[in-house]
Amino acid sequence: MQDLRVQFATSGGTVTAVDGIDFEIDRGEIVGIVGESGSGKTMTALSILRLIPEPGKITSGRILYGEKDVVEMTDEEIREFRGNEVAMIFQDPMTSLNPVLRVGFQVEEAMAAHARFTRDQAKQRVVPMLQRVRIPAAKDRVRDYPHQFSGGMRQRAMIAMGVSNEPSLLIADEPTTALDVTVQASIIELLRDLSRELRAAVILITHNMALVASLCNRVIVMYAGRVVEEGPTRAIFKNPQHPYTWSLLRSMPRIDETAKERLISIKGLPPDLGKMPPGCKFHPRCKFRIDRCFTEEPPLDEVDPMQRARCWVLMKNVPEPETKA
Amino acid sequence: MAQAAPVAQPDVELTYEMPEQATLLTDAWRRIRRNRLALVGGAIILVLFATALISIVWTPYPTWLQAVGPTYQPPSPAHPLGLDQAGRDILSRIMGGALITVQVGVGSAIIVSLIGIPLGLLAGFYRGSVDTVISFFINIWYGIPDLLVALILVFVLSDALHLIPRGILVIIIAFSLTRWMDVARLVRGQSLALREREFVEAARMSGARDFGLVFRHIFPNALGPIIVQATFAIPAAVLFEAFLSFLGLGLPSPTPSWGAMAADGYHGMDFAPHIVLAPTIALSLTLMAFNWVGDGLRDAFDPRMRR
Amino acid sequence: MSAQAAPTPATDPTLKAPLVRIEDLVKYFPAGGGLFGRTVVHAVDGVSLAIEAGETLGLVGESGCGKSTLGRVIVRLLPATSGHVYFKDTDLTKVRGEKLRRTRQEIQMIFQDPYASLNPRMTVGDIVSEPLRNFGVARGRKAEQKVQEVMRVVGLNPNFVNRYPHEFSGGQRQRIGIARALVLEPTFIVADEPVSALDVSIQAQIVNLMEDLQAKYDLTFLFIAHDLSVVKHISDRIAVMYLGKIVEIGTSNAIRDRPLHPYTKVLESSVPVPDPDLESARKPILLKGEIPSPVNPPSACRFHTRCPIAQQICSEVEPPLEMKENGRFAACHFPGQL
Repeated sequence: MQDLRVQFATSGGTVTAVDGIDFEIDRGEIVGIVGESGSGKTMTALSILRLIPEPGKITSGRILYGEKDVVEMTDEEIREFRGNEVAMIFQDPMTSLNPVLRVGFQVEEAMAAHARFTRDQAKQRVVPMLQRVRIPAAKDRVRDYPHQFSGGMRQRAMIAMGVSNEPSLLIADEPTTALDVTVQASIIELLRDLSRELRAAVILITHNMALVASLCNRVIVMYAGRVVEEGPTRAIFKNPQHPYTWSLLRSMPRIDETAKERLISIKGLPPDLGKMPPGCKFHPRCKFRIDRCFTEEPPLDEVDPMQRARCWVLMKNVPEPETKA
Repeated sequence: MAQAAPVAQPDVELTYEMPEQATLLTDAWRRIRRNRLALVGGAIILVLFATALISIVWTPYPTWLQAVGPTYQPPSPAHPLGLDQAGRDILSRIMGGALITVQVGVGSAIIVSLIGIPLGLLAGFYRGSVDTVISFFINIWYGIPDLLVALILVFVLSDALHLIPRGILVIIIAFSLTRWMDVARLVRGQSLALREREFVEAARMSGARDFGLVFRHIFPNALGPIIVQATFAIPAAVLFEAFLSFLGLGLPSPTPSWGAMAADGYHGMDFAPHIVLAPTIALSLTLMAFNWVGDGLRDAFDPRMRR
Repeated sequence: MSAQAAPTPATDPTLKAPLVRIEDLVKYFPAGGGLFGRTVVHAVDGVSLAIEAGETLGLVGESGCGKSTLGRVIVRLLPATSGHVYFKDTDLTKVRGEKLRRTRQEIQMIFQDPYASLNPRMTVGDIVSEPLRNFGVARGRKAEQKVQEVMRVVGLNPNFVNRYPHEFSGGQRQRIGIARALVLEPTFIVADEPVSALDVSIQAQIVNLMEDLQAKYDLTFLFIAHDLSVVKHISDRIAVMYLGKIVEIGTSNAIRDRPLHPYTKVLESSVPVPDPDLESARKPILLKGEIPSPVNPPSACRFHTRCPIAQQICSEVEPPLEMKENGRFAACHFPGQL
């Protein structure tokens, strides 16, 4: 995969869940999409696979995978694409695994279903696959049922199913949200290693900024269906330009805080997708807004080489933002 | 923390906009409105109730009056549904039958609920030995052949209560005493599940006594399924009454019970099918209507069960 | 199980006047009949703790460690299997009936799930005023005023008293739950994962609110959560729980800077920091294996099956929770060595 360019707007009925997003991701890169619930981050990922639930639709834009446009693919091509090129890992592994089938069999099915391997080859690859995702005693555990696995192990099994066809793009949607922090750490390590071994691109969708800091090269921050800021991880964390990114980073308690500081909270709620405010979508909650924010929506402009933000003000123009917030 | 930090203003959000949203009931109504069968059923039930009410004050002819015309007369402009073997106006009798159907159905649903709900709430809320005893009786009752017992009850009650032989009340009681378990078991299950919910724990922390927990927190949240179950009890009771009357064991002649009317016309089925058809169709429509509405209510109260 | 040295003023000189003292508290659940007699879940297995008046004690641990059960046993939503919970001078495990009901006036709880903890059939006004009615504290107009006042305190628009819970967002619902807990003006509140179901930007609102309320009303909090960063932020002291037992107690800075128990250290290292530079320098200590079942917990030190520094003795002798430094308790044979 050379250059995946995603550029689309989705609309379910009149509700615009994702509006005019474009980004690209290269092989070996790990991109984090951060946002709160309803920000459109999951919809964005689902549209890459053309899995938008009814009655949603991709109403415009293109999703280029290599030279091919996913939006234009035939049903046959998209099935092929989903099976061989992309893998998706969901938040709750229990709902994605069939409870009455053995885990080993399900991994085998995942491989055999997409014609890259014969049934026999698939059978032989099951145990190595489970070992690769570091399921201990994989030989014995292939015969277990999903409920005999812990949450972390199930997620590993899901990852095994996902990567068994050596995809070039791995989409992980809140893969650790349901897991304990010690398990989360190991799943994150696993994703990091797999992306290196497979030379695959990884999209990590999460609400957890800290997770992004530890894993991703690049961050996309979404709010109300729009990308509000995008750039290299380091720049986003050290030098956030959009007030939403800036506040989000200061709204979460940090384990490494030294003095007890009051958290900066973002007042109010994200907007209802059916009733978007005019102008900048964040202005009703923004502490740094100016008159222009009420009426005109800012474009996603370059603020630094590689870094873009959708804001009229930009945090670098705000002296001593802490006192104002 | 005691070295009080300067008391900051709480993050007040007094000014946010409140989205206009539907309450649970209007939400249920919106869902049931999209269910065609339930709407048709509801319309039929409305007609049934209206007919029953009208029949109290007016029917074209008295329901018992014989020989208003030739016996076995097929439908005609004067008698849209024809006359029966005794020359009674069938339309009038269908209308009178509607009243009986409504009384039996609604009466039974109420009595069944009155028995089943308290027992179910007690068993589910207190669990332990209370539950063991009540569940024991529920299971025993399920084992009893209900129709047989109901028949015996009809006779025993009629004698014991000196009611007008085999009156409506007797049928309602006989039905309810043999069919209260469905509601009881449902309510038991509901309250078993609800008592573990966090809002019931929260109510306990709020100092609620058992009575308050059961009637303010558990019962209102079980109401949806209870209504559904009670709705399904109506057609069962109606069928029970029609069945008894058809066998000649239910309401005595000349009471215009649909079941008895069908039995009356049974012998003339070859040459005067309208006598059987009229009550049978009325009965079938009623049963279907209640079942459709019951299904519709179930879906409306529990969106997860929707197909 | 052996009784652990209770952190009381006698054993812990840093404690002044604990409001709540928990002594060797045990809670077992029946886990269904096995083939050979009954098995039990050792949800809480000999916990001793003291909560100082006016402090926030954070209770942190992973899912299944028994922290929520411990919270529920303390407020007596669940009966204890054995042990004592002293609130002021009453043993809460001993009171029942009307006396137990009366304790709710002083002890309240904030629940995890703002969707499940509010009765969907009651209006906000009814929910918040229910404690007032149940205890006959205020009625009619006075109750209404009190409800409106509390709603204002937690940042809810008092005009919304007649709305139903499902009309509110998660954060607003959690405010309703907090209002309900506050309305009786309790002294001690157990908060069971109060922010973990909320979005990040809303979490900060609720955390700030709880801090403000504590300062304003001089509340004592037991703050139960799985997220060490949140617990660290809000708590004065932290107790770390693993498989039904407290493995470490200390001030929150001490716990973060110099964990004594290896499990605390693992936990601390696993929490990601929102700073890419620090993150690339940090390396989480990965635990081997899975958390053992509380039905059949490991003997001696419960952490020995997964502990990176376990020795022979750890599987033979259970380390008691004892004071290692001033005000710091740990249950480990080799404290601070990881």
